[in-house]
Amino acid sequence: MNPHALTRRLLAAAAALLTAAGALAVTAPGAAAQEEATDSLLIATNQEVDTFNPFKRRFVITYNTSMMTYETLVRMGTDYEPVPGLATEWEESEDGLTWTFTIREGVEWSDGEPLTAQDVAYTYNLLIENQAIRDWNIDFAGNLVSAEAPDDTTFILTLAQPSPWDVLTREVFIVPEHIWSEFPDPSADDANQLPLVGSGPFQVTEYQTDEFIRLEANENYWDGAPGFDEIVFDYYAETDAAVAALEAGEVDIVNGLNPAQMEALEGQDGITVNNAQGRRYVSLTINYNSVTQDGTAFGNGHPALKDPVVRQAMHMAIDKAALVDRVLDGNGQPATSIIPEIFEQYHWDGGDSLLEFDIDAANALLDEAGYVRGDDGIRTMPGTGERLSFRFFQHADNTDYATVVQFVTEWWTELGLEIKPEAIEQGTLNDMAYLGEFDIAFSGWGVGPNPTEQLGMHTCAVLPTLTDGSERSSENNYCNTEFDRIHVRQKVESDPDARALLIKEQQRLLYEDTPVIYLYYQNVLEAYNSDKITGMVLQPSEGGMITGQQGYAWSYVTAQPAGAADDEGTPAWVWITVAAAAVVVIAGGVVFALRRRKTADERE
Amino acid sequence: MTDSPTPEGGAAPLHDPAPPSGRRPGRPVSKRSTSGFGRYLCKHIGGAAVSLLLVLFSSFFIFRLIAGDPIDQLTKERPVSPEERAALRAELGLDRPMWQQFWDYITGTLTMDLGDSFQYRRPIFDLIVERLPATILLSGTGMVLAVLLGFWIGTRSGWRQGSRFDRAHVGTGLLLYSAPTFWLGMIVILVFARYLGIFPVNGMRSPNTPPDLWSQAVDIGHHLVLPVLTYTAVVYAGYLMIMRSSILDEIGNDYLTTARAKGLRDDEVRDRHAVPNALLPTVTLVFLAIGGVVNGSIVTETVFSWPGLGSLFVQAIFYPDRPVLQALFVLFSASTIIAVLAAEILYWFIDPRIRKS
Repeated sequence: MNPHALTRRLLAAAAALLTAAGALAVTAPGAAAQEEATDSLLIATNQEVDTFNPFKRRFVITYNTSMMTYETLVRMGTDYEPVPGLATEWEESEDGLTWTFTIREGVEWSDGEPLTAQDVAYTYNLLIENQAIRDWNIDFAGNLVSAEAPDDTTFILTLAQPSPWDVLTREVFIVPEHIWSEFPDPSADDANQLPLVGSGPFQVTEYQTDEFIRLEANENYWDGAPGFDEIVFDYYAETDAAVAALEAGEVDIVNGLNPAQMEALEGQDGITVNNAQGRRYVSLTINYNSVTQDGTAFGNGHPALKDPVVRQAMHMAIDKAALVDRVLDGNGQPATSIIPEIFEQYHWDGGDSLLEFDIDAANALLDEAGYVRGDDGIRTMPGTGERLSFRFFQHADNTDYATVVQFVTEWWTELGLEIKPEAIEQGTLNDMAYLGEFDIAFSGWGVGPNPTEQLGMHTCAVLPTLTDGSERSSENNYCNTEFDRIHVRQKVESDPDARALLIKEQQRLLYEDTPVIYLYYQNVLEAYNSDKITGMVLQPSEGGMITGQQGYAWSYVTAQPAGAADDEGTPAWVWITVAAAAVVVIAGGVVFALRRRKTADERE
Repeated sequence: MTDSPTPEGGAAPLHDPAPPSGRRPGRPVSKRSTSGFGRYLCKHIGGAAVSLLLVLFSSFFIFRLIAGDPIDQLTKERPVSPEERAALRAELGLDRPMWQQFWDYITGTLTMDLGDSFQYRRPIFDLIVERLPATILLSGTGMVLAVLLGFWIGTRSGWRQGSRFDRAHVGTGLLLYSAPTFWLGMIVILVFARYLGIFPVNGMRSPNTPPDLWSQAVDIGHHLVLPVLTYTAVVYAGYLMIMRSSILDEIGNDYLTTARAKGLRDDEVRDRHAVPNALLPTVTLVFLAIGGVVNGSIVTETVFSWPGLGSLFVQAIFYPDRPVLQALFVLFSASTIIAVLAAEILYWFIDPRIRKS
């Protein structure tokens, strides 16, 4: 090819591209302006959709879409109390085995069909009769005996064992029988064809993998039409990008902020930040009891950790308030046990058992128990003389944990312990933890309004039966028959106050036995466009969160368009600059091409 | 981490590459060179086939080295009982013996049945088909721009080595090349999307664009500008440097003196005589680039939440979504192996030295 012609073609192509880019910059906002008739609430997300099947979903994002598309019989109130949902009333029988619900009248599915107790019975029967759905929900479904609807407004549920809190708090999303029964296997994805039909405030109508999920408002919603016409979960792989999008007015709600991002957003016009107590705790798990159900020991935890005195001394030598201050920038609370302060009713404040941060007292405890310091300053075990040298594993991808490790290592070194910190990729760390091949490791869970599942991780029943680390239901093989006895009682106690006392007692046992050291509860940092949104109800109602609500999407349903002028668009000077730049580049290109042409002419 | 014009990773086969259609009609070729070409071809196709097989086998085992139980990811939001864990294992096929999983993987891959993703709970084949166009659009556009820009500047830099043009462009190019893509992407987002507001922050489409073809095309084009800009900025220096050194190799040659003696202008000597010769060593690079288009640009796609194969790969690593990783590894490797094979075949025709040896 004639290279000269090639050059010219390249030049032409480049000019065309630049023009196109300029044109796009000009036209696209125009295109976006057309759709102002629809009030969209845009929420940044980064989690993929596992399935829209409400019985098989596992991820938070599909919890949110299910919670808006469908409804439960009993709703979780703004302060985590059970409130009427599709059921207006409910009654537990004397023996706790039979529950009778009165189903709300006049409720319609989003396609206009009436919702009756038959739909409710159909839904619960899926949990009982459909093998795959039952397996996926076996913890709850395994306890169900029968589900019947004697008439259109009565639903009767029979259990094998009393379990009031499971019945009230487990989200069983009621699905429409007239749609679902048409498919041979409701556990497959068949029944989830978009648009979804539900009775909730918003239904999923469109989904583009990792681009966006659209939910349209249900105009016939029995509890009043939502303020926004639609909710769109928009994908932002990086929180930094989501923050930039919030500032640019491209997205309305962003969560999962770190303190630095939060600080940058604070005080900006039209943006409100929300610093709410979270549902998550961060803890240090101690490998003190790697044994199976039948008592076979496994793993290689340090023997000194079996001594409660050592664990307590280590606990006393951690300044949790300092960690909240220095690691979380104050955005959290020091932890006592499993249940964060956000669940006021069940949170245990430590009472008389609360340990003060006191390294001297901790040292005295160890001295008294006979752990004497060797020549190198490291304590040794009485009897065997083994040095107190512990492996301390953290998740490699968590920078907060890295900072915690620095502080804790320093404190524990003052106790005469040798600490060997190591950052390990999370999958490997999990594998090692369940094989018992560690001494101390980070852990942490989000806690739900019903803490039974979390407490259940510390019961003898979930100790592994094998030593291969494949059964992962016990947090770290804690087994205390006293704890188990109370656990059984709290599960069946219908009176909330009596139950709260039992749950606090369980937490006290955990605190004193110290299988786990709970470090802190982490706040949820969120921000939203307050020029556009107003009136969002939080959960809990005082100082609660917007995203991450449980049992009902109060915030999204109550959000109202603020009516303030939408994004006023790009300032004129930007367009002028862009246009000027494009003109200069194109003119330059033309002049250059002409010049070349001229020399070519001269040459011929 | 930097996007590099050469694709990372080994290679793997979906199909054996189709045998080339022999010699071109109408082009007389001597008998001796036909058999030479045949041998040359067999050798390279054989090599590629072996690489593809190795990739196919190793892909299964490599990703089993990533520790962690996929069930942990599924259940990380709430603890579950041993029974529920067992049900999940069975559903994902993790309870079957290793040899059976291996056999299913091999036969599945060869028949394009790649299994289901752990995280998306959908057929991987569908996921790949859905995302391939997005990746080709981004890295294809970026690659073409980077090659054109790199070659254009590289030619002029090499021709006037040490000039102000040369120093300025090599400096700029290398600076961008060494900038972390992630960081550069964020700067681009902040400047053009956050402060100037003339391009969207990320993604490929706005959720509220009207569904007609023109609006959609404009919207995608609008979203494409910043990622392409970032991608091109990071990789073009590679092509620039290769082209520059290639031109430098030609500069002292006698045929250029001859061309000048004929009275040709400097530009003409460069474009008509030096460039064609200098292009030869860059052929491999261009083919590798074409193979790399499929791999996409992992970092750029992640920064801009571009729904392509690169971001799928990143998400699969973090999960870890083993079946997706296996399939993508095989796909990425295969595209590279086939591109390299194509380059080698092309060399036979454009480089006489290979035919002689």
